[in-house]
Amino acid sequence: MSNNRVSRRQFLGYTLTGVGGFMAAGMLMPMVRFAVDPVLQQKGGGDFVLTDQRAEDVTEEPVRVDFTFEQTDAWYVSEVTNSAWVYRDGDILIALSPVCKHLGCTVNWAGDPEKPNQFFCPCHAGRYEKNGLNVPGTPPLGPLDQYEVEEQDGYVAIGAIKLNTLV
Amino acid sequence: MHFIGKDMDQYLSQQEYVDTAVVPLLELDLSPSGLKSSAGASEYLQSLTALLEKQFRGRILLFPPVTYTSGADRVRLAEEISTEMKRAAFKHVFYMTTDAEWRSVDQLENVLWLPAIPTEHMDRNFKQSVMEDQLRQVLPLFIKEWS
Repeated sequence: MSNNRVSRRQFLGYTLTGVGGFMAAGMLMPMVRFAVDPVLQQKGGGDFVLTDQRAEDVTEEPVRVDFTFEQTDAWYVSEVTNSAWVYRDGDILIALSPVCKHLGCTVNWAGDPEKPNQFFCPCHAGRYEKNGLNVPGTPPLGPLDQYEVEEQDGYVAIGAIKLNTLV
Repeated sequence: MHFIGKDMDQYLSQQEYVDTAVVPLLELDLSPSGLKSSAGASEYLQSLTALLEKQFRGRILLFPPVTYTSGADRVRLAEEISTEMKRAAFKHVFYMTTDAEWRSVDQLENVLWLPAIPTEHMDRNFKQSVMEDQLRQVLPLFIKEWS
């Protein structure tokens, strides 16, 4: 038998403090969790999607590169395939969005046989220079959007869409 | 554009540019022998028209498929649809279908008949490339009509 025996009063005091502590923590934890929630949210953007286009095969001639990602539309999750026009300018890769800035058709490189060095939109004959600049006098009002692009393990990876920084 | 509320606002403000309607015509055959091919044709037709819409988003308005039963009177249906289409200000109306009976109905102009390809056993990449091949056969018909 040890000398410092715990009295009934002390025992009850410790027990109530411990239980009360747990209860207080049980109430406070969710509150703290809600308060700091914005910090813990995962960022959706900025992820790069790996394509099956080899980076070394990209030349100065734009090629169409498809990339697939999951899109959530309310409760409906679907796989969406988008494409980008990728070409090499010196050492850097450039990826342009194929979505026409007029009404959203898909533009094609050299789609108009008479203008082999421009993007062409078949809907209303909109044209863009290779860097995405809209040709004045055609319907589009702005340059093609640009994608973040990088090389991952020798393959092209496409990232977030941004405004055209080339023009 | 799709026939949805959001796109309609854009359509109403850009009517002079969106001058083409695309109406898929879809046969519903629920007999035990026709069920599966009817479903496959539906999948094919809707994938193809969705791809077409992506390509020509700024010039076409893609309607939801007009679905009718296998015994439906195609001639009467043709008259009803074309009458309704004339109420909107489209310069061109295309009908796309996999149902061979439309080939003998001449009340509708610009009916594009395509044999349905069963795509259910294809993996995603292969299906994508098959559908793009199909799309490439259809695109010139639109460009020709527009020019």
